[in-house]
Amino acid sequence: MLTWWVVLALALGVYLQRAAGALLLDTERLAPNWRRVLNALPLAIISAVVALATLSDDGELGIDARAGGVVVAALCAWRKLPMFVTVVAAAITTAALRAVS
Amino acid sequence: MRRLMLPTQTAFTAGEAATLGFTYFTVGLTVAVLHVTDGTAPWVMIASVFLVNSVTPTLAYAAVTASGGSAAAGIFSGWLVSTRFGLFAAAIAPRLWPSRAKRAIAAHASFDPNVAMAMRESSDEGARKVYVAASLWLCLPWWIGGTIGTLIGSGLSDPGVLGLDAVFPAALLAIIWPQLNTKNRNPLLIAALAAVLAIALVEATPGGVPVLAAACAALLTLRSDN
Repeated sequence: MLTWWVVLALALGVYLQRAAGALLLDTERLAPNWRRVLNALPLAIISAVVALATLSDDGELGIDARAGGVVVAALCAWRKLPMFVTVVAAAITTAALRAVS
Repeated sequence: MRRLMLPTQTAFTAGEAATLGFTYFTVGLTVAVLHVTDGTAPWVMIASVFLVNSVTPTLAYAAVTASGGSAAAGIFSGWLVSTRFGLFAAAIAPRLWPSRAKRAIAAHASFDPNVAMAMRESSDEGARKVYVAASLWLCLPWWIGGTIGTLIGSGLSDPGVLGLDAVFPAALLAIIWPQLNTKNRNPLLIAALAAVLAIALVEATPGGVPVLAAACAALLTLRSDN
């Protein structure tokens, strides 16, 4: 759940990175290796967040109905279905697994 | 207006404009519905659409906190998924206007596709026109979709049965999937190593550490066969 403080903190952090890039960073002078690592960072973070949000709860590992939903989401993404369909399929799968267990 | 939205003598086509608009409208709609049914107040959601102006930071925050992570760990993850915007803004800024104030405003609209489309242009004038047009085709539908999604989400009655804790990782997965599905194997290796590191550390370390450690997987991009 997002609150005012969370939104302000996220907005500030995201905008400062954008403004710093536009005003301070000269990409010609940034070492290409640094550029590649910064570019790859979001993929690593998102992947870690997906894994944690699927397989952990309060710092404890475990497999529950969420894992089923995320597997279905992966299948939808693989079939190149729109994000909306992917998300709805994940929600329905998870809710259905909870209902029968 | 037509010149502004569809500049002539550039590679930017009406088809690209329509695809951008449709994609970002549905993404804004979907993400706003998810957050609002998750308990986010409508005005907070609308403020987030305009102020954060990106979906991955709020999705990352929600995914981290929904699985028991602290607010600080969620915000930190939200910042880390936005590092690419700084690089996009840095790439496009020198080709826009000399004015630093204008560059600072334009930086708020830096996303993946509009920067990539503008960078295709050989002239700076073309790059500027395409950046403005593509940003409008992207931001306006995303803001409108986010607002409509907020209204729809606040009308849903019983979010408890919707399997909501699975939707944040599902949405993030849909966002990164196209990057994994390429001939270059580095992105897949980075994603896999990051996931394994985070899972390996989650029980042994305090919140925030697994995500921070997983960031090291980005170093795999320096592998030589890229």
